[in-house]
Amino acid sequence: MSYQTTTIAGMSGLDAHDERSRQAQWQADKWMMSGALFLGSAVFGIIGLPLFLRGLALQLKAQKAGLTVRPMMVTLIGYLVAVDAALNSIGWALDMVAHHTLLARVFLMAWGNMFDAGYFWHYNELWIGGASAPGEKAWEIALLPLVFSMRIAAAIGFLQMKRWGHQWLIITCWFGVVAWTGYIANMTIFADVRYTGVVFPVIGWWLYDIFYITPFLALPYLHSVNREIFSH
Amino acid sequence: MNKDQINELPLGTSPAFAGMHKWLQRGLIVCLTALVLEGAFTFPLLAMWYGWPTLSLQEICTEFERIRFSDESRECIYPYPLFGPAEGAGQTTARDQWGIQPKPQYKAIGYRELIQRRNDRLAAQTTESGGEP
Repeated sequence: MSYQTTTIAGMSGLDAHDERSRQAQWQADKWMMSGALFLGSAVFGIIGLPLFLRGLALQLKAQKAGLTVRPMMVTLIGYLVAVDAALNSIGWALDMVAHHTLLARVFLMAWGNMFDAGYFWHYNELWIGGASAPGEKAWEIALLPLVFSMRIAAAIGFLQMKRWGHQWLIITCWFGVVAWTGYIANMTIFADVRYTGVVFPVIGWWLYDIFYITPFLALPYLHSVNREIFSH
Repeated sequence: MNKDQINELPLGTSPAFAGMHKWLQRGLIVCLTALVLEGAFTFPLLAMWYGWPTLSLQEICTEFERIRFSDESRECIYPYPLFGPAEGAGQTTARDQWGIQPKPQYKAIGYRELIQRRNDRLAAQTTESGGEP
């Protein structure tokens, strides 16, 4: 399909361009949204990647054809924030409400023994169940229902180019900076609990978790982009 | 930056921040790809390290529990009673150097070590029972 040559009956040139842009964006988003659902599920991520990349390619094609679609950076940040928050939520939801399932007692214990014994040491001993490391449960309660849920909502608004989406993504990415700082400080202070008897301590944890630094990549963009483009 | 290059900048990106946005975009793509690969492969690779498929997930769970609480009599109960107390509540066997910075006494578990650990125990039990399994 040639985006530029197709005409839409009864529409002015500008309206037709708008309509074609909207259709192209929606078509790309359908692929990317399906992909992101899989990506956020962790284990099925590999299925989601080609779907997501297909959507990304469609958006790029529309952009090259001269249509007014979302900037690539907005697309990448929006979907990455949502996927990052979903991945974080899975592990912590398992620990908060599903700590006695076989999956949690194998997967979280294995992860804990490998990288961070906050998920091994005296596990399932507190009355609330799950991780017993000092401070860990408090972070889960603060971050899971509050920060990560809000970040997914903000990412959706951001992808829709809404003003509130841009604003709330800034707010929740700063939450992310606070979360990183507080969480790392807590782990460092209680390093004996977290890293004694662990297969790949400290450096292993960093190598695994460094890819969750999404807020630090998003914030410089969010503060330097022309905010007038978020006008819906 | 000439006029053509400025016109080609993505919507919302000013010339002053074009370089920074380009590098941020590269970082975002790396993070997204890495998160997907981690998400897809962490569980199967961890399961293999800790002895699956030679050991069932429940057997791995049992070994973890015995190491965690330094108690060889423990079994991983599955399915766990929905409203039961936490499985480790009130346990007195786990070993730590207690203090303001508790230090656990268990050791890190090596590659496929849980299989060896279980085989050794079963062999010892067989010897104790005079060859009867």
